[in-house]
Amino acid sequence: MAELGQRALAGLPLEELLDEAVAVSARELGAEFVSLLELTGDGRRLLIRAGHGWPEGVVGGVLPTDAYELPGFAVRAEGPVIVDDFASEERFEPSEVQREVGIVSSLAAPIGSAGRYFGVLGVHSRERGFFSRDDAHFTQAVANVVGAAAQRSRAEEGVRDSEARFRELADTTPALMWTTDSEGHISFVNEGWLRFTGRTLAEELGESFAISAHPEDRDELTRNWEAALSRREEFNGEYRLRHHDGEYRWVQETGVPRFAGGEFLGYVGTATDIHERRLMEEALRESEQTFRELADTAPVMIWTTDPEGLVSFVNEGWLRFTGRRLDEELGASWTVGVHPDDAEEVLASWLRALEARDRWQREYRLRRQDGEYRWIVDRGTPRYEGGRFVGYVGTATDIHERRTMEERLRRVYEREHRIAETLQRSLLPERLPEIDGVAMAARYLPAGKGAAIGGDWYDALERGDGRVALVVGDVVGHGLRAAAAMGQLRNACRAYALVESSPAEVIAHLHRLLTSGGEETMATVLYLVLDRETGEVSFTSAGHPPPLALTPAGPRFLEGGPSVPVGATDPAAFRETTDKLPAGTTLILYTDGLVERRDVPLEDRLEQLRAAAEAARGGLEDICDQVLHGILGSLDPVDDVALLAVRPEPASAERLTVSLAAEPASLADLRRRLGRFLHAASASAAEQYEITLAICEAAGNAVEHAYGPTDAEFGVEVHIEAGLLTAAVTDSGRWREPRGVERGRGLQIIQGLMEDVEVSSEEGGTVVRMRRRLAAQLAA
Amino acid sequence: MTTSAEIAVERQGAAVIARLNGEVDMTNAEYVGKELAGSVPNDAGALVVDLSETRYLDSAAIELLFDLARRLRRRRQALRLVLPPDSPLKRVLELTDIAVAATVHPSLDEALAPPETPV
Repeated sequence: MAELGQRALAGLPLEELLDEAVAVSARELGAEFVSLLELTGDGRRLLIRAGHGWPEGVVGGVLPTDAYELPGFAVRAEGPVIVDDFASEERFEPSEVQREVGIVSSLAAPIGSAGRYFGVLGVHSRERGFFSRDDAHFTQAVANVVGAAAQRSRAEEGVRDSEARFRELADTTPALMWTTDSEGHISFVNEGWLRFTGRTLAEELGESFAISAHPEDRDELTRNWEAALSRREEFNGEYRLRHHDGEYRWVQETGVPRFAGGEFLGYVGTATDIHERRLMEEALRESEQTFRELADTAPVMIWTTDPEGLVSFVNEGWLRFTGRRLDEELGASWTVGVHPDDAEEVLASWLRALEARDRWQREYRLRRQDGEYRWIVDRGTPRYEGGRFVGYVGTATDIHERRTMEERLRRVYEREHRIAETLQRSLLPERLPEIDGVAMAARYLPAGKGAAIGGDWYDALERGDGRVALVVGDVVGHGLRAAAAMGQLRNACRAYALVESSPAEVIAHLHRLLTSGGEETMATVLYLVLDRETGEVSFTSAGHPPPLALTPAGPRFLEGGPSVPVGATDPAAFRETTDKLPAGTTLILYTDGLVERRDVPLEDRLEQLRAAAEAARGGLEDICDQVLHGILGSLDPVDDVALLAVRPEPASAERLTVSLAAEPASLADLRRRLGRFLHAASASAAEQYEITLAICEAAGNAVEHAYGPTDAEFGVEVHIEAGLLTAAVTDSGRWREPRGVERGRGLQIIQGLMEDVEVSSEEGGTVVRMRRRLAAQLAA
Repeated sequence: MTTSAEIAVERQGAAVIARLNGEVDMTNAEYVGKELAGSVPNDAGALVVDLSETRYLDSAAIELLFDLARRLRRRRQALRLVLPPDSPLKRVLELTDIAVAATVHPSLDEALAPPETPV
């Protein structure tokens, strides 16, 4: 699954990624049937894009999207749907194919987010109640990776392996990332990498990433890397990377080959700092050893040696284990039964200890009488009689079950950790979106290294009404489940924020999302809508600590609006509160990892936050750093911390000058900016819409006629003087020829809404000019 | 920044109600048009498009309403629009003669009320 995320990041062709997603689901869940369905362009059918276990001919077929069958139902659902038994299912029926192959239980997860569904991922079984909630989380996580990849793939249609897109993705992904060319030379490293190594992009380019590796690790790393490169295989390695402060830190590096249209382009890699984890593992091993000594109750095997290290005695336990006779064990032949892979090391360490007369201890595999090699721990202590060294006495214990169990647990834990990490990395933007008129800075601190991934997030987006939606949230719990739920909530929240103007309603939607799936997930969320011009805020806090407003008169918490966490109780009511931030205020939103410590009451921590914020100076980035430092000091947080600092910067109400790429997607951007400008100029809602529409119709015309050159732009200039608004829309790109406004209804709209509309062909393009007197300004 | 619209469809008696939330412009008009047309089964008498929560419609979006009305008419189905009296969209829809293609109602209740006998 982590691998799947990696491959999705690496730009694996969608087709292959879909096959991988199916294979991963079949393998990890043990499902007999897997189907990956894509919603066709007209939304009327579901195309079976990939599958596992089906009779020939099923993959490539189509299904209806009607809600009376599971796929159609699932694509409308906002989360995974589990069917324990089709016989007792009332919401829908199994499809014909499902009936044919005898499917009894199913699990289906929608791919994509509300309003932009890509399709459905389904897993099916002939056994009743085969799928658990954990399986649902897993399937949804896979679906989310596919959804993200599909979205990206659709967005990038027509753009072949755009390096720029990758760079943007990499720089908004909080990890150390690099790409190489097909020769294995670095062609790009992201901001995270440069921050870590303290080197410049120019210094890194063209080199091997191993250049900053510890001298002791470099040769082996280079050897493994070159071996992988020559075969174009995935590369994995742990090594020490030079940090900019001179310290070497352990990192785990994964490189995945990238292909476009079958052509090998190079690698994309990520490195994760695992330094603390490695140190912790070592410490853990030591403390575990103490525990083992106490816990072992297995029959003990005892041996002694003479001063030369030759075996002089073994007990019954030892003989029963090896199945040999005493005389066979005596002397130098005790290593006969040691596993060939372990023998050399065991013997070498034994001889070293013997020479120094040190205590000796090793875990190795020893052959039991039935021929099976079993893990044992063997310890020897030097014996002295009257000050004279007489040899060693030792004990050995069978630890095979425990070791295998540990190994298995470790693998399970690692897998889950990597999936959660990948998910979180792919879901949380390190760089906030740029929103005109609000300065923002954010921090995300994971809990102390080695702790499980949490479910915290922050987000910011611009609404159609010119206000800015800000959200911080924290899914209760840790690990894969929390990270998956976080991703789902974050995406859903974006969708709700765009269409719903009331914070309480947005929160209520999130609540319904969490409770509708029958999941026991709970989250605290603070959702706030800010008017950049007036400083008015409207917010709902679902079990979340209050936001802090750093006003010119000092800091104060925005009280009110507290409600229960989403998903906590049902039914639940959510309240919203409004407030007004004076000009020059910085708003600080955070998750409770910042203010929660078990040993200190919450009020005291909030007071500490207030004090730290009051003392903070400088820009938003400085404020974030000082607040974090003021509260956490040099300690790692005990829980993940998300911090978001926002400062509104009101717009000019007199003039707006914009230049945008001549492409349809620019129109939404233009609308936001016009909305903001007209709002600042106190235009009424009808005026805002009508003027925005008239200008966008002219701009839409420019976009539709942007022939050929992709770098074409159009310009919009609006100014208001004494209540009279004047707007000009100019084609400033390289046009094939000047042209008139042709779209009948567009021109009709412009002329109906504006006065003095003029279309003129000028040098290199067309200019549409228009005017309108604003009612509010007239009255003023 | 993208344009985003959500369509919630609900059957009520002979009518299908589609609530159109968000924004529709040239980037998503085709998608919205297909969604709306696809939401009307043959046995429905009318499609009621509720524009109460629609924040933006451009000429491409208005074109889609005309187009939708044509398609429905062929199937002997009516298009009704819900447009509250204070909607900012009102003037633009009047300007483009939407009344030629669809009946416009100030609320959902009125859009669902049985049609009055023609005078």
